[in-house]
Amino acid sequence: MPGRRVAVTGIGIVSALGNNLQEFYRSLAGARSGVRRLPDEVTLGSGVQVGALADWDPAAHFKGPEAGALDRVAQFALVAASQALSASGLDLAAVDRERVGVYWGTGMGGAHTLEGAFKSVYGKNDFRLRPLSVVMAMNNAAGSNVAVKWGLRGPFANFSTACSSSAMAIGEAMQVIRSGRADAVIAGGSEALLTPGILAAWQALRTLAPMDAGDATASCKPFDKRRGGLVLGEGAAVLLLEEESLARARGATILAFITGYGNTCDAAHMSKPDRDGQVRAMRQALTESGLQPEAIGYINAHGTATIVGDVVECEAIREVFGDSNVPVSSTKSMHGHLLGGAGALEMAAALMPFSEGILPPTANLEQPDPACAVRHVPMKSERIEVPRAVMSNSFAFGGSNVVLIAEKG
Amino acid sequence: MQTLDRIKDLAIKELSLDPAKIDPNAPLADLGVDSLTFIEFMFKIEDEFGVKVSDEDLRNIKCLADLERHVAASLQAAAKA
Repeated sequence: MPGRRVAVTGIGIVSALGNNLQEFYRSLAGARSGVRRLPDEVTLGSGVQVGALADWDPAAHFKGPEAGALDRVAQFALVAASQALSASGLDLAAVDRERVGVYWGTGMGGAHTLEGAFKSVYGKNDFRLRPLSVVMAMNNAAGSNVAVKWGLRGPFANFSTACSSSAMAIGEAMQVIRSGRADAVIAGGSEALLTPGILAAWQALRTLAPMDAGDATASCKPFDKRRGGLVLGEGAAVLLLEEESLARARGATILAFITGYGNTCDAAHMSKPDRDGQVRAMRQALTESGLQPEAIGYINAHGTATIVGDVVECEAIREVFGDSNVPVSSTKSMHGHLLGGAGALEMAAALMPFSEGILPPTANLEQPDPACAVRHVPMKSERIEVPRAVMSNSFAFGGSNVVLIAEKG
Repeated sequence: MQTLDRIKDLAIKELSLDPAKIDPNAPLADLGVDSLTFIEFMFKIEDEFGVKVSDEDLRNIKCLADLERHVAASLQAAAKA
């Protein structure tokens, strides 16, 4: 169905920068980092020092035994979805819920549940596992719990493409609304994998930043000469997407429109980023939105702060944007890398210039690497004129590149 | 606190049962407790009382009163051992 535009009418956030959108934006505006030294019980012997943990008390959100039947990744999902729904004002009782879907993204699903089960089996030789282990650990559990909670019987999908998972969920959700198969979709993603076993696996990959000697909160330094790798985070982000005319008919506030979605694969290497794949994804998204590069007023970069990744992305941005001087920042410097949840969280960050007139910064960017020559937003947020459009990049292990473009509402 | 009261308290907390309507002899299925939730509940019982509930025992436990008898017997056996 041509002509169907996809509006963002609500946003929900669980992150190390706060568990709602307002707090998240305040933290970004103040360049406040949520990265901390991780407690010993989280790291054990993994050697990982820092991470971005959400401040999380399940009892504050779930009654009685409810929380015990939900992995942390699904708890985050439900709380973020609830916020987005409530912010949107969408009355689910008044709509056909067969026309409302859930499109979710997560890298590892119920990692805490799985690790708990393995701990019991290998650590205690106890093979009597909790009967909910499978349905709590499976990758689609977070999204499915959202569908069950609100009785959303429309299209459902769960994307697991590492760091691009939830960006892909948003892009595909846009397509399913445009195609006419759904009127609204809860689109987002969540990740909760800060467990000793998984941290050990990440440490073995040698891509994690060591703790900054002077200030643990400054450990993640995208685009900086001193950068030493990424910092893992956790949380969830949700965009409530609705077909424009229905959103307008009910008088909803339209925060933005998702108008461009690029999706390419490097097909080159499992972990090494590829400029060509990234360039093609950005160009695809621009083509779909019908915008020239000059229309983009801010790019929320993938910007993981790895040695190679940041350089390749900046080269790709320069190839697509030439000398347009578009401001670029990586908010991972503050909320950490949410992996499967990153795309959705960073899309929410990318929308900040629309509602706040503020560009979120790259924290800890004191000494820009000349090899990362883009127009940065270093250290401090900047006030700007509300731009026409913004872009968010998500480039994943496995070679998946997803780029989203949003235009102001 | 008596064993049955402790079981009831745990059931109210873990199974969200209505304290006013809790009937130790009512089949748990009738109280809306599905089989998976019931097994999860047995894990809590094991932790609370330090007893084991085997899969065989599980088949014979239909209500909270059955559970109380099982826990009491297990505790008694443990005391004798």
